[in-house]
Order: sequence, then C-alpha cells, then structure tokens
Amino acid sequence: MLIIGEKLSIIAKRVREAMMKKDKGPIQEIALRQMKEGSHIIDANIGPAEDHGEELMQWMVTTIQEVVPLPICLDTTNASAIEAGLKVHNNQWGRPLINSTSNDPERFPIMEIAVKYNAQLIGLTVGRGGLPADAEERSAIAVEIMGRAMEYGLPLEDLYLDPLVLQIATSQDHALKVVQTIKMFQELNDPPMKTVVGLSNISNGCPKHLRPILNCYYFALLAYEGLTAAIVDAHEIAPVAKTIDVIMGNTLYAHSYLEM
Amino acid sequence: MSFVVPKESYSGKVYEVSIGTEKVANFGGESMLPFLSFDGAVKNRPLIAYEIQDIPPDDWPDTVKKVYEGVSSNPVDWAKHCQDKLGAKAIALRLLGTHPDRLNTSPEDAAKTVKDVLAAVSVPLIILGSNNAEKDAMVLPAAAEAAKDKNCIIGKAQEANYKTIVAAAMANNHKLIAMSDLDINLSKQLNILITQMGFDKERLVTDPMCSALGYGLDYTYSVMERIRLAALTQNDTTMQQPLLGDVGMYVYKTKETQAPEADLPLWGSLEERAVAWEMLTASAFMIAGAEFLIMRHPRAVEALEKFIDELM
Amino acid sequence: MALSGVEIFKMLPKTNCKKCGHPTCLAFAMKLAQRQISIDACPDVSESAKQILGEASAPPIRPVTFGAGDKAVKMGEETVLFRHDKKFLNPAAFALEIMDTATDSEINSKVEAVATSEIDRVGQKLRIDAILVENASKDAAKFESVVKAIAAKAPEIPLILSTTDPNAAEAAVKAVADKKPILYGANESNAEAMANVAKTHKVALGVYAKGLDALAAFTEKIKGLGVSDMVMDSGARTAKEIIEDNTLIRRAATKKTFKPLGYPVINFIQRDNTMLETLLAALGITKYSSIIVISSVERWKNLALFALRQNIYTDPQVPMQVEQKIYKLGEPTPESPLLITTNFSLTYFIVLGEAENSKVPCRLAVMDTEGLSVLTSWAAGKFTASKIAQFIKDSGVENEISHRELIIPGYVALLSGSIEEKLPGWKVTVGPREANGLPVFLKARA
Repeated sequence: MLIIGEKLSIIAKRVREAMMKKDKGPIQEIALRQMKEGSHIIDANIGPAEDHGEELMQWMVTTIQEVVPLPICLDTTNASAIEAGLKVHNNQWGRPLINSTSNDPERFPIMEIAVKYNAQLIGLTVGRGGLPADAEERSAIAVEIMGRAMEYGLPLEDLYLDPLVLQIATSQDHALKVVQTIKMFQELNDPPMKTVVGLSNISNGCPKHLRPILNCYYFALLAYEGLTAAIVDAHEIAPVAKTIDVIMGNTLYAHSYLEM
Repeated sequence: MSFVVPKESYSGKVYEVSIGTEKVANFGGESMLPFLSFDGAVKNRPLIAYEIQDIPPDDWPDTVKKVYEGVSSNPVDWAKHCQDKLGAKAIALRLLGTHPDRLNTSPEDAAKTVKDVLAAVSVPLIILGSNNAEKDAMVLPAAAEAAKDKNCIIGKAQEANYKTIVAAAMANNHKLIAMSDLDINLSKQLNILITQMGFDKERLVTDPMCSALGYGLDYTYSVMERIRLAALTQNDTTMQQPLLGDVGMYVYKTKETQAPEADLPLWGSLEERAVAWEMLTASAFMIAGAEFLIMRHPRAVEALEKFIDELM
Repeated sequence: MALSGVEIFKMLPKTNCKKCGHPTCLAFAMKLAQRQISIDACPDVSESAKQILGEASAPPIRPVTFGAGDKAVKMGEETVLFRHDKKFLNPAAFALEIMDTATDSEINSKVEAVATSEIDRVGQKLRIDAILVENASKDAAKFESVVKAIAAKAPEIPLILSTTDPNAAEAAVKAVADKKPILYGANESNAEAMANVAKTHKVALGVYAKGLDALAAFTEKIKGLGVSDMVMDSGARTAKEIIEDNTLIRRAATKKTFKPLGYPVINFIQRDNTMLETLLAALGITKYSSIIVISSVERWKNLALFALRQNIYTDPQVPMQVEQKIYKLGEPTPESPLLITTNFSLTYFIVLGEAENSKVPCRLAVMDTEGLSVLTSWAAGKFTASKIAQFIKDSGVENEISHRELIIPGYVALLSGSIEEKLPGWKVTVGPREANGLPVFLKARA
C-alpha cells in the first residue's frame, strides 16, 4: 500500500500559518515526521490557492524536499500552481503525483500538465453537479476519465482512480458503496486500475475520539478490496497497514512486525 | 409466471403513544410502512392537532388568520373554538409570546396560559415553546409543571437545551418531542442522549424538522422514510418513536400561502392554494411516515381527515 | 438479474470501433449497465450476447412513451421503491378527463385549461401533461368526432382514448394514430379486438383487470397477442387500494423482477370533492403512479401538484439549487447588511430562515456553486475569493447599497483578506460558522 501523508494541509491551522508566514520550520518538521511514520509520498494541500498559488506550491515542494527524500503529491484545484510545483519537483526522489483531475471540464487541463511533466495523476470520479449514486455510476465516470487519459496520452498505469470518500455522519450509505467501487475500479482494466482514497474524510465531522476508529477499520476494509494508495495520517494507520500486510501475506510474520 | 404477493415482514415496530387524561388520543403502534395493511397491523389513525398560540396570530397570513377572527385574541377562546366548533382531537399550544423578540413574556405567564387552556378543554394538549432554545429551557419546565400529570406532550427538546426540558417532562409525567436539524443521524443521536438521561424511549416523539411543499419538502420526506425503515427493518429502538410533522408554521411562511391571485394569476385562488399547500405538505409527510401532525387551517384538516378515512 | 458494466463488457466485441458513439466498448458497457442506452447501438455484438444483454439490460419496468413531439410523455424505467435509494426517473403525468358527452363549450374550455396550464417553477416548465377522452356516450361516431375535435384544437397534447368498445377504439385511434395516443380499455371480454387495434396502429394499450393476480395474467395474455407497450389499471380506486396495489406492483417489478407487472401504472382518482382529489393525486405522485387521471385542473391545484411532483422527483444526489441572485429579506434599505452564501438549497433555506428570524432586514447574495455547501464548494474551487468578487461585481448590488461591507460564512474566514484584495474599497466581515448564529450576530450589529 502506497501511503500518502496528509498532514501538510492548509485546513490545519498550524500549517496554514506556516504557509502564510513562509515559515519552513513547522512544514519540514511535519514532513520529516510523516516520513518516519511510514509515508511514501507527502501531500501538499494548498487549497484552491487563487492568490500566489504558483509561488506557494513551489515553496512547499522545495521546502519539503529539502529535508525529505520523497516525492510530493501536489494537491490543489489551481492548475498553474500545479505546473509551477512540478517545475521545481525533485524527480530523483520519485515521480510526483497530482491531486487531482475529475470529470469536470474545469479540471481537464491538469491532465495535459501531468503528461507534460511525466507525473502520476489522481482522477476523482465526480462530474459537474451531483455526486455519483453508487459503484456503477462511479465506474462510468472512471471510464470517461480513462478514455480522456488515453486521448491525452497519459498511460493508465499512471492514473489513480479516487471514488471520493464521503462523511459517514452525513452520507452513511456511501461508505459501503465506496468499498464496492474499489473492487469494481480494478476490473476496468488489465492490469487492474490503481485506486486511491482520501481516507480521513470518512470521519470528518465525527467526535474526535471516533475518528481513528472509523479511519482504521475503514482502511482495513478498503485494503482488503485491493486499494493501491491512501492519503492518510501515517501515524494513525501504520499499525493497521502493517497488520493487514501480515494477514494478506505481503510481509513475513515476526513477533516484532509492528516495530519494523 | 404466477403472481406471489411480495409481502415484507419487519422485525421492528413503532411505539404507540397515548396522550391526554379526560379525552385520550393515541398514535403510532404500527408494524409496517404507512397504510400498507398487507404487511402488518394498522394500530391507529394519524393524529392531527390544531395549532393555537398564546398571543394573537399577527404573523400568520390572512388566509389562515381570518379563520380564527374573534377567538384568537385569547388562547382559551381559541382552544375552545377548536375543540367545540372544529372537533379538534388535540390542541397544540405554541407559547410564541415568550420569545424574546415577541412579547418576551415570562415562564410564569406561560404557565398561567397553560393552566387556563387545560381548564377549558378536555382534549389532549401539546405544549410548544417559541423555538428559542435558551428561552424554551426556562419556559417549558414552568409549563410542564403547570400541566403536571395531564399527560401532555412537551416540545421541543433540541440539542442545545434538551437537558432541562427532558428533566421537566420526566418529573411531570409528560411525553416529549425531540427535534433535530433535518438529519437522520442527528435525530438518532438526540434520541440516544435523551434516553441516556433516563427518559423512557416509548414516551418520545421524533421531529426530524419539517419543511414546506416546494421548500425542502423532499429532505423531510426522505428523512422520515429512512427513519421509518430503520425502525422496521433494523429494529432500531432509537428510531421507533412516532414522527411529528409540525406543518403549519412552515407552510404559512411560503409565498404560495400569501401572494394574491391578482399579482400572480397563474397561481389561481389564494384561499384554495393556501389550504392545498398545507394539506399536501401534511399528506406527503403522512405517506412518508408521520403519525402526528400539527396544522392550522380547518379546511386542510377536514380534507386530510377524509383522505385518512379512505386510506384506513 | 442486472449485470455490472464489466460483466457486460466481457460479452462485447472489445474492438473499440466507436460505432455506438462511445469511445470504448467499456464506456458503452457502463452506459448499458445503467440502462441509458440499448444494446442495439452495437452493430457487431453476437446474437447470443445480444439476447442475454437485452434481457439483463431491460429495465424492470418497461419504458413506455405516449404522445408525439416535445410534449411526449415518458413513463416506466423506475428501479427503486424509495427516492433516497436512487432518483425517481419519469415523473407521474397528469391527465384531465373529458367526457365525449360534454358540450362543445365545456370541452373547449377544458382543452384550453390544459393547453394553458404551463407554469415555470425553479427553472422547470411544468404542465398538465395529457387529456383522457372518455367514451361516456358509448357511441363510436360521437367518440371519434370528439377525439378529432380535441386533437385539432390542441394538436400537441398527448391523448389517452378511453373506451371498451373495439369499434369506437378503432375509429378514434385511427383518426389520431400519428399522435401516438394510449388506447385505454382492454379487459377480459374485449382483449383480442383491443389488442388488435393497438397493434395495427402501433399505440400503447391501457389494460384493466381487477386485482393483481388477474392483472398479471392479463398482461401476459396481451403480450401473447403481440402488444408489448402497456399501462396497467388494477382497478384500484380508493386511496387504500391505490397505495397498496401500486406498492405491491412496484415491489414485484423492482425487487422480484416480476415481468408481468413490469409496466407503468394508470390511476383513476376523480372525485367531486376537489380537495380530496388533490390529495389522491398527491398519493399517486408519491406512490408510484405513472398516469394520474383527474377531473379538474384549477390553477391553484396544478401549482401545488407540480410543486410536489418536482420535490419527489428531484435527484437526491444532485443538491437542489437556488437561482443565483441577491435576495431581499424583509425590506432592506441601502444601509442594510449584505450576506453571502452558496446556492445549495438546504443552506439557502436555513440561512434564509435564520436571517428572517433575526427580523433584521438584509440582502442575501446567493452564489451559484453547483449546489454545493459552503465548505465543500470552497474545497472544490467554486466558492473562492475571485469567484465571489466577480459575482458581487456582476450582481449590480453596488448600485443598491450605500455601504461596501460583505458578510461571509465563518467557515471560509480565511478568504476575507483575499476578497478584500479583489474587491477594492470593500470590507469583508466574517459571520458565524453556523446559520443559527445569525440572529444574534445580526441583532448585535443592528
């Protein structure tokens, strides 16, 4: 499982303040910690970033990669900020990932950028207006995004399909539908399509003490269905991810497997 | 291919609630979706209560205000009119005058109004606050005490104020309405919190928050359907309370109940339109699962009662 | 049983030839799985696959259309019992009953009332959809002439021709066959002759049998006679019969895939008491009726029924959207506060309610965010500083107010500086996060 560390997000107050003040300290500290906790990619979520988005994304990418030898997941709806970030991304640490395109025409230009910079891309399976009702509708949108990827020349191996996890507190019926979707997405191509989720959205709006419980159990269900990647709190998910790897036979069991 | 009747049998049922002392009214108690008698026993008719206020209905539109001309200047006359002339099976007294933006009357004033109305009528009474969470937390305990042992329904307990109201309903032997903001999960949560205080789950009525035809009715409708299904198919004891549709106060805020035909000829007669608006709003919720409705216009109530006759 | 898109894909030629109009076979398979297209669109699929897919992709309730042109009425294709599971697809149609024994002026005024019934509501055009002509005279020639007269007066209105007399049926259907009417009135005693008329003129047949057992057997019989487009009448007339029969029919069709009851339902609910008839029509809207036959079309009644039909047939997955504009609450003066929110209807209704609650007159700027709520639309890049600034400039509100202060929802507090940059001369004030904080907030300022 590819672990994408979610902690560098503008939604978090401490991160937002560091971004505003261009204070590298907190950003680098969080990035380093996420790597130690098992993240393979560091998500840099700068929000819609209408103002100075290019500059902010470049600052984030370089600030993180100064201390952490990992690729970045560039997370914004602002296409030019993504392109700016890709220009300074250190590909020596791995290929960058873009979050995200979707079936909304406003988000198509991002696909072109992904191809130009040889980046991997997350395709969020939503269109304009309205959420997909079930796994079938999500898959139908996925197929449209896949078709567009082929037109733009983006290899399907570089596309991660994201079924969009919704809050269990308000959209309970979607929780299971997303699990079913992970299974269905893989069947859309051979080799199977890659999949990704923004995990913690499941527990968004829930009381604090419930969040890790919901996140971890949901992660286990999704992993069982073959989820390829997840944007998560690496610290929270590490024991679950390691345990699932043991149960599914991906790593060899030893009494100390959790410490590895 | 021969037809096999596709019946459903459910593991859960809705609690039956009984209110009043002299004259008693019951609602709920069914073990199937509304009116589907092939799936389970129809226990009671939906109950319709007439809405009155402690202050004159100055904020009601003319279409419904004029119906109560001459009696609505005082709640006792108004209540008697509903019981004796309109045949009300229950009366819902809204203590709107206690709202800080209205007359800001005191809990003691409210208690007196409740006592006066109780003394004047024999049908069950529903006692509603002004929907100001803070003030209701003071007014409703006083009102509940004034009506002690009269087996009323007190409402509405909301997330922000439920504790004192629940305690008052419990201490004075009343039923209780729990209202949340149009969200099935919040509704369940509030019912859990209230029963965790020791309030009997079978004495509770759920108000998932009403809305008017054309103005969010689809949300209330689906929340009610989902609550009913949870009660029946999941045997969820926190969702098995009867459902309330507090229809009048939402319906008579809409433009459709107020805009004169002269301004909007395509909308037709104002009087009929207003009655239809209330009646259809109520009927939709009844079909979705509401066992208890609070309404205003006698013609809307009368038509709905006829409709229920046909459905039973 | 329904097949998934991938299961269907495995049976397709996998040539990606695009002849079906889709970029890949997989994309076509997805559309098939969602029953949005027919297998016939693929020219190269094998006959055996076609048969399997044709069966599997047939909706549990057969799609039936009547009327021609823009005003044709689509029915059927529903797949669920509850609207929260999936959108109800084809809204119930209202058909006004006109007796062929009525006087010319009565007929004219009723046709006129249907022809002018259209109302625009929340961006949709809504109308009384059809006219049912009842052969009350039992006279074939009379029936034919009234049907012709109505079709001539209102050529676009879809028709339902109701008679149990095959001769009257033949004459009337023949006269208006190009308008694709429904012929209603097939029953056990006239089945062959009526099926023959429907088959000859290629129109849908309305079939009647009392009770669901008899009805299921009867649709099979009609199907055997070569008519596959039907609407069904189980004889339900009271509210109790209608809710029970319609529910059982929908259950049998969608949950048991019981094909003999997999057709649209027609309900006759005419009453002398108009209020009661309105309630019966509401029952039909909520509980699975495809055609609701009514006896009168007062404007107030139409409006209320249209509103209900619109509510029930809204897609619960697509948030109801409110028109983008500046709404006035109370009677605002140029000094009154200006608030902004998104056009998710629930957000709008709640903000509206709380702002009205405060009794402080104000202006509410409702911005098109495709129906997303405040936080969601911000994250999706639809409720951003530049879009908000653009909307405020374009709205013309600057001409209506004397101040330059915008109150934004507390959830997007971080936008305040950026909006001020993009709206020179404006001050942005952060309002409460939840709408229920508005009364206190507004009153404190007033």
